[in-house]
Amino acid sequence: MKPTGILFFPAFDWAISPTHPEREERLLYTRDQIFEEGIMDLPQIREYQPGLATDRDIARVHFCVPDVAAQITEAHLVSAGSALRIADAYMEGEIKNGFAIIRPPGHHSKTVSHGNRGFCNINNEAIMVEYLRQKYGIKRVAIVDTDVHHGDGTQEIYYNDPDVLFISFHQDGRTLYPGSGHMDELGGPLAYGSTINLPLAPRTTDTGILYALEHLIMPILEEFKPELIVNSAGQDNHYSDPLADMRFSAQGYARLNEMLAPDIAVLEGGYSVQTALPYVNMGLIMAMAGIDYSNLREPDYDPERMRENPANLEYIEKMVKRQLQVFRQREEQIANNRKTRDRFHHIHKQIFYDTDYIHEDQSVQLRLCPECAGFRLIESTAQHRNGYYYRVYCVSIPANACASCQAEARSGYTDMSGNDRYDLVYLQDRVNDDFRSIDIKKEAEKVL
Amino acid sequence: MLIGIDVGGTYTDGVVFDRGEVITTTKVPTDDNDIKSTVLQVLDKLLLQQDKSDITRIVLSTTVVTNLLATGKGERTALLLIPGYGLPADAYDISDDTFFLKGGIDFRGRELDPLDEKGLGEVCDKIMAAGIKRVAIVSKFGNRNDNLEKQARDYIKKHYPQLSVTMGSQISGKLNFPRRATTAYYTAITSEEWNRFVDEIDRALTERGLDCEVHILKADGGTLALQVSRDMPCETVFSGPAASTMGALALAEAGMNAVVLDIGGTTTDIALLLDGMPLYASKGASINQRYTHVNAFAVRSIALGGDSSISVNAGQVAVENYRRDVAACFGGKSATVTDAFNCKFNLNIGNPEFSAAALEQLAGSGMSKDELSTTVVTIVINRLQDVITDMFKEWENEPAYKVWEVINKRKFTLEQIIGIGAASRAIIPQLAETMQVNHLIHQYADVANALGAAVARPTLVVNLHVDTQTKIYTLDPGGVRGTLDNPRNFQLENARQMAKKHLQEVGKERGMASYTDESSFFMEEQFNMIGGWDRTGKLFDVGIQVTPGFIEEFKGVKI
Repeated sequence: MKPTGILFFPAFDWAISPTHPEREERLLYTRDQIFEEGIMDLPQIREYQPGLATDRDIARVHFCVPDVAAQITEAHLVSAGSALRIADAYMEGEIKNGFAIIRPPGHHSKTVSHGNRGFCNINNEAIMVEYLRQKYGIKRVAIVDTDVHHGDGTQEIYYNDPDVLFISFHQDGRTLYPGSGHMDELGGPLAYGSTINLPLAPRTTDTGILYALEHLIMPILEEFKPELIVNSAGQDNHYSDPLADMRFSAQGYARLNEMLAPDIAVLEGGYSVQTALPYVNMGLIMAMAGIDYSNLREPDYDPERMRENPANLEYIEKMVKRQLQVFRQREEQIANNRKTRDRFHHIHKQIFYDTDYIHEDQSVQLRLCPECAGFRLIESTAQHRNGYYYRVYCVSIPANACASCQAEARSGYTDMSGNDRYDLVYLQDRVNDDFRSIDIKKEAEKVL
Repeated sequence: MLIGIDVGGTYTDGVVFDRGEVITTTKVPTDDNDIKSTVLQVLDKLLLQQDKSDITRIVLSTTVVTNLLATGKGERTALLLIPGYGLPADAYDISDDTFFLKGGIDFRGRELDPLDEKGLGEVCDKIMAAGIKRVAIVSKFGNRNDNLEKQARDYIKKHYPQLSVTMGSQISGKLNFPRRATTAYYTAITSEEWNRFVDEIDRALTERGLDCEVHILKADGGTLALQVSRDMPCETVFSGPAASTMGALALAEAGMNAVVLDIGGTTTDIALLLDGMPLYASKGASINQRYTHVNAFAVRSIALGGDSSISVNAGQVAVENYRRDVAACFGGKSATVTDAFNCKFNLNIGNPEFSAAALEQLAGSGMSKDELSTTVVTIVINRLQDVITDMFKEWENEPAYKVWEVINKRKFTLEQIIGIGAASRAIIPQLAETMQVNHLIHQYADVANALGAAVARPTLVVNLHVDTQTKIYTLDPGGVRGTLDNPRNFQLENARQMAKKHLQEVGKERGMASYTDESSFFMEEQFNMIGGWDRTGKLFDVGIQVTPGFIEEFKGVKI
């Protein structure tokens, strides 16, 4: 039997600020717990060393404004690079599954990155998925976001990609950051149904979450048939998390991962650093490695306080039923969209970067192609913390784009390359793994 | 004058070393059933030509504990574990006599569940009924809070005074409960036998009128006064490879990145020197496939040596992992690895004609003796090279937990191969040529192990953990736990001073006070603990050590 790969990178020398939830101390007690348990010594576990992501790995997913270096620290390169390393170990067949216990996190980072949103600058899971698609030619991937906060960054990156199934359950956006993740966010016109959200009421327990897993997430995964299942593994559904209000336990997390059986899990949020994280991380590792976790629990766990409210369970049952229906009608709906919609689909949105206090104004044009899932043209403006006001134009060609979309998108990049309305014009061509940008004022093209 | 004695699997070597020169050497076959007699035999031979009063220090590297653990003949001991919540009970497959006690402590040293004394009483009754006389008590996070272990010990002392007790918190202050349990258990099962050995050596030295310092070599290449070693028998495992590594270090140029190969009759021990410092096994010494908290060099042993037998089966050449006899060139009956190198490279070892004849005979009609020796040489060089490459890779792939460590990751650039042991003269030059790196085989290479033991200095590692919120600190070795006087103003500098003071005190107790000034900090960590948005306290982890090195009177070896 192959071992479970663990890459533990607690970034003991990185913090957003000294008292921020994303501080050096975050994984300290997790370290104490997993080291004291000696779990890395077990034959079922193989520990991996962190890696470093390259600027190209990041540019495959993000348009970093003005450039990659401006949006990241070395810690981000290590965190993303560590996800790539565990993914390589999985793809090379060294491990049966892998868990990257890494920080900084990433699931709130969207395609365009002007700064830090929800503690994230770059999206570790998306960088990993695009890396794997490029390197190993895999196509269909499922990302299940088990963080208490809606994984809005990952959702946005794959909103128009029918080959990436994104499922997020989270505390209802009407009660928690980032405020999105509602039932009707179901994917773009050509990727309808491959985004599924399940906003849960505050104080939902193990029973409620595991019900949704069993009756919605597992059947969808079975029908979608992904080549790879990724758990975007936040740990803040825990009953003790200071930033959220759910009632999930370490046992619940272990059971979830046992049932979900992700190929790769990547740590996201979770800020109950003493009461939850040491036990939840143990639970995840044990479940993924097939170790009996019945003796695991938090010292203050009280099953009496964790009983599910029957009305809430009924509410979850209804949501599950509806979302399952939506998922099963997705092909029909997409075919209909193709017939009835215009050549381009326009979206306008405002994005707030809560950590950095940046307001981004974005307009997206999605090509609704009869052959493929289309390409995106993004115009984005934002005033950065340094006072500089950036206006950028981004061309994004997905890995599955058809030849005519590729040609059309590339000419879009060329056409804009002298347009002084913009500070920067970017090309992200995942088909040819070609990432470049032009600084309009300097008239200089940078090829990554 | 210094004496070093290294007990090996096949032979025991001894040297007398004085002012840069080896004065005498001796070698006798090791009697595994009576190591004490083997040691004394070597000692008596060395003393024949010396004035006893000139001897200032004797260092022994022995296999007493290593053999005891390998053969499972230690004293029957009950292992009492207090694991609390976490891994299942079947994760702890350490002793046949394992018992679980209720109770729990967390990573901050907070008591979560009290010790179940009634359950302990029942366990002790079973232990007594089984005729067991010794117990080891280990609790998870006992290194952060030893109260449950102490409570259990006191209960046993009061109600079952016949039982001897070893506590995990006394063995190591480091995290890793299974390694602490294993080390405490191994310490308990070897304690009686090791103390008997120490008594016997003590008596024998007195009988011989020797009144000098006597030390035991540890797995980390440092020495420990014979009397101090009574409480920590496990520290003496794998001292053979430690002796050779220290020997290589004594003979080599300082500060090199080197690989040390100690090539004996049937085994080769391989160690790495990084900037002239031996590399440690990151998970501690692995004994019987179990990791321990014993500090040890990262040594790989492979079953390949100068006397390794060669066989030819249906045209397939193999280098066997056993020995039939010495090499043919030294009068052995059949061809060995040494013979193949002797023949291939015209090394003129022993009687080269015997090598040629033995190879000729083995090769038979299917191949020439030159083809046979070429094949054997290729097999040997490839195997050694693979292990060395693998060791580099393992070192480069060590986990890292800080951004700084990942960004500044180094690659291992090999500068020298150091050969020691009798068979290295035949093999090392060819290996070095293949790997395109220079090599060193010192004139004392054959006795480098005993020499390494003779000149090694004592080592000591101190670990301090401080929690300013609970106001508790713990110090290792010794399992010291106390309350801080000034938790509010406690800073890293205070932690450093505290660790250093403990190092000096333990150093004094162990008779190595003169070396504690040469200590260095190897770990300095501090974390702010935040509750809400305020700092509620600080955590410190500080480590200070006297690294492996040489005694003051050692000023190098004359060439």
